[in-house]
Amino acid sequence: MKIIASFLFVFLVSLSFGQIKKVNLQASGLTCSMCSNAINKALKTIDYIAAVDANIEHSTFEITFKPNAVVNFDELKKKVEGAGFFVAKMTFTLMVDQLDLFNDKHSDLNGTMFHFLNVGNHKITGENTFQILDKGYVTAKEFKKNSKYTTMPCYQTGLMGVCCKNKEKSVGTRIYHVTI
Amino acid sequence: MLQFNKDGNNLFKKRWLLAFSFFCFINASVFAQELFSFTEPASNMSAKSMGLRMNVNYMKGFQRDKNSLYISPEIMVGISRKIMVHGETFFSNQQQQFQFKGASFYAKYRLFSIDDIHSHFRMAAFGRVASNNSPMHTTAIVLNGSTAGFESGLVATKLLNKVAMSSSFSFVRSFSSPSLNSPNEIHNHLLLPNQKNAVNYTLSIGKLMLPKHYVNYNQVNVNGMLELLGQTNLGLEASYVDIAPSVQFIFKSKMRIDLGYSTPLVSDLTRVNSTGFLLRFEYNLFNIFN
Repeated sequence: MKIIASFLFVFLVSLSFGQIKKVNLQASGLTCSMCSNAINKALKTIDYIAAVDANIEHSTFEITFKPNAVVNFDELKKKVEGAGFFVAKMTFTLMVDQLDLFNDKHSDLNGTMFHFLNVGNHKITGENTFQILDKGYVTAKEFKKNSKYTTMPCYQTGLMGVCCKNKEKSVGTRIYHVTI
Repeated sequence: MLQFNKDGNNLFKKRWLLAFSFFCFINASVFAQELFSFTEPASNMSAKSMGLRMNVNYMKGFQRDKNSLYISPEIMVGISRKIMVHGETFFSNQQQQFQFKGASFYAKYRLFSIDDIHSHFRMAAFGRVASNNSPMHTTAIVLNGSTAGFESGLVATKLLNKVAMSSSFSFVRSFSSPSLNSPNEIHNHLLLPNQKNAVNYTLSIGKLMLPKHYVNYNQVNVNGMLELLGQTNLGLEASYVDIAPSVQFIFKSKMRIDLGYSTPLVSDLTRVNSTGFLLRFEYNLFNIFN
């Protein structure tokens, strides 16, 4: 029972999903090439990353993945922080056949929960770039500014709360707040 | 005894040199590095990484005109994103032959960080404990190779508009007792216990001179720095303040060579050596503990 519960927990809090074409991130707090290289090397320790193309001057990193890679945004963020810096911006490019966007609502996309903010209600298809707005994925100033787009408490925690749980996902499941 | 650098005219010139140098650095704003030659910044090295250093100091002697050579191999380890440690051993030829003098352990904990694109303000707490077997006692407490003791303090580093500045303040206590027989002794009595206590203070500023634009990790970085390193003995109410310009080269974004020179502006505390050159090699091994 314990094993099943543990498995269920891991499944429910899993932050990963496929079909991500690339991630672009910008790190804050650095200017020098040795600092940039520390981030570059840290990202490259993730086994499903195929390549990291760094722009030292702008502190940006374009990350591409191996086929069928299961991308975990929190793991990427943790690598940047482990190198001693922070994520100022992270976007990901995703191929979708068709996706209905509902503003300030939760969507389950291949098992990962997303909360779309400031998007309007419309359909999207093809290659789309989303920006993650969670705490630690934008500057503190921007995080505060974007709080006007929702009143839900999950924006502050990044975790599904009592208000937003659904029948498939439980309270405490990771939910990414994104905009397009 | 030991009144060198106290010549009024000389001191006056050095203070003007200092003021002028700082003025130049503050007005020059290209890219800055938050790495310094004579002090540690508030930033930590990358977690799960290791840095290897070889510090070589060639210092002018004031006794018997004998110059001293200090060699200090050092290992740095990034334990986590907030904690890093250094272990260092000291060798020198202070007493005629080149020999092991002692060791030190240094730890730094990043207290907080406010980061933005190309800028940050960080503060860290640090501590150092050092052993030393030197029979030469001085009124200055120099933990990197001359005195046994401990140090604890805070360091703040600001990276803003492409200029990096750092400052630290720490309490330092010597484990050694200055003796009557010391050749460096400036007082004809034993020092009181409170004279084993001192405060250290530093101010550093640096800028990246080359490259003008980054293209890849193989470009050589050249940084210019100017640092002030001071100590005031709380019991003696005497101080030293060194000025330390340096130039730093970074190769392949992982190897560092620092070339520096330090000399006192104020020198009311005795030291085995106070003027000389620093040559440091550093090689960083990223993510070796994954």
